[in-house]
Amino acid sequence: MAKGLIKGLGITLNRFFKPKVTVQYPEERLPLPDRFYGRPEFYYDKCIACNMCVNACPNRVIKLETETVDKKKVVTKYDFDQQYCLFCGLCQEACPKDAIKFSKDFELTRYHRPDIKIEFVKPEMVERKKAEIKKAAAEKAAAEAAKAREQEEQNPAAGKEGS
Amino acid sequence: MTIKTEEFLLNLGPQHPSTHGVFRIVLTLDGETVVKAVPVPGYLHRGIEKIAESRTYTQVIPYTDRLDYLAGMLMNWGYVIAVEKLMGVEVPERAEYIRVIVGELARIASHLVATGAYAADIGGLTGFIYTFRDREEIMDLFEMISGARLTPSYMRIGGVAYDIPEGFIEKCRKFLDDFPKAIEEYNGLITGNEIFQARTKNVAILPAEKAIDMSLSGPVLRASGVNYDLRKARPYSVYDRFEFEVPMGAKGDCFDRYYVRILEMEQSAKIIRQALDQLPEGPIKGKVPKVIKPPRGEAYAEIESSKGIMGTYVVSDGSTQPYRVHFRRPSFVNLGYLDEMLKGWKIADVIAILGSIDIVLGEVDA
Repeated sequence: MAKGLIKGLGITLNRFFKPKVTVQYPEERLPLPDRFYGRPEFYYDKCIACNMCVNACPNRVIKLETETVDKKKVVTKYDFDQQYCLFCGLCQEACPKDAIKFSKDFELTRYHRPDIKIEFVKPEMVERKKAEIKKAAAEKAAAEAAKAREQEEQNPAAGKEGS
Repeated sequence: MTIKTEEFLLNLGPQHPSTHGVFRIVLTLDGETVVKAVPVPGYLHRGIEKIAESRTYTQVIPYTDRLDYLAGMLMNWGYVIAVEKLMGVEVPERAEYIRVIVGELARIASHLVATGAYAADIGGLTGFIYTFRDREEIMDLFEMISGARLTPSYMRIGGVAYDIPEGFIEKCRKFLDDFPKAIEEYNGLITGNEIFQARTKNVAILPAEKAIDMSLSGPVLRASGVNYDLRKARPYSVYDRFEFEVPMGAKGDCFDRYYVRILEMEQSAKIIRQALDQLPEGPIKGKVPKVIKPPRGEAYAEIESSKGIMGTYVVSDGSTQPYRVHFRRPSFVNLGYLDEMLKGWKIADVIAILGSIDIVLGEVDA
């Protein structure tokens, strides 16, 4: 009469002697695929401040601010408000320079609410970048000046020869 | 001597595990018998249709994941197919095949939840664990191809987001090879169980005419013996190229509604196998402008989701954001007949009947 019940019990008994399918999580971890969307990562030096990621985000998670130094855009702020992130990857897809990428880190819990928001750009990074641009600009200006001087030195000679 | 009796109200839910989410039914009971049942949805309402009006067409896709979160891929599909119809975009063949593969995998995943959760509703938690074990394989496949397990946001207007990664096809084939054995296990563990059968057979019989009248769809409709599956009746995508059957029930009771899903999973596995064999090479995204700006107008497109017919109605005013988006959510429509189905049954059967409809609250409330 209770044939079905006994068959079911047989199945569970059979399973009991088979290897486990679960893993002991914090110690053991399953491998994650490359496309996994975990904590976002931002590469400051790659970013060209094109605002594509800001416009691609469905939830307006990203705040991007720039400052213009010597006609060049410097990213001064790149805030990622993770609590509103849908982890859809549209920002990563929109970025032309791969400046924003999702890592495999999925343990995103924090003890304090302010820690959820990620402020990627640190003041010293902005200072460094600004200094780099200024240095590059100064070098460029110096090189140009040197070139001009060289030409001037050659030119009067050329002028004399010509006359 | 007569005993004075009176009816009383009982709130089932919104916080009750057997309602599969936050769903409330106000039951009027006469002793243990249901006299009247008033479903109260809306506890998970997030206003996705309204949110869509302030997002660009691509940005709506992640929100559709959150409709039927057990088959996010199918919800993506239901939305993009409507926008593609509106824009007249042609989807490359490879993309269509990839969509069929992931869509059918999502259907299996959703039906596995339905099957397992139904077993748990009836009182056999073991079945739940077994189906979730196999669903995990599908979730791993989704994670591989889209980067997320439940909210893939994988489809794009005009194609899919990424091509099939290395190792996906092998893993998918391995899953399909192991799947018949798993179905055998479910049949032994759940379907064949005498207690399960006693609880579900001849419970809440839904006649075919009534089901059609209430415009029910999906496994609930087919269990009543109505042969209506969009994939066969009005093939969209590349479904006309596959050989499969539309499983149907005979009586339309809870058992049929449960068993149709198991049979459907077998058919889905068959479709995936064929799609993997026929998978062509080529691009995965059609010719779509970078800024999606459909012409003024409206479009309505439907797909067969795991719960029934999922339709999307999109109205465009020519800007980058949809003027109006409406989703025809099968779970919500399928609930329309709940009151009459519950009437006259005992309170323990309420859980069995509700579970057999297989609702997802993300979809009911949108």
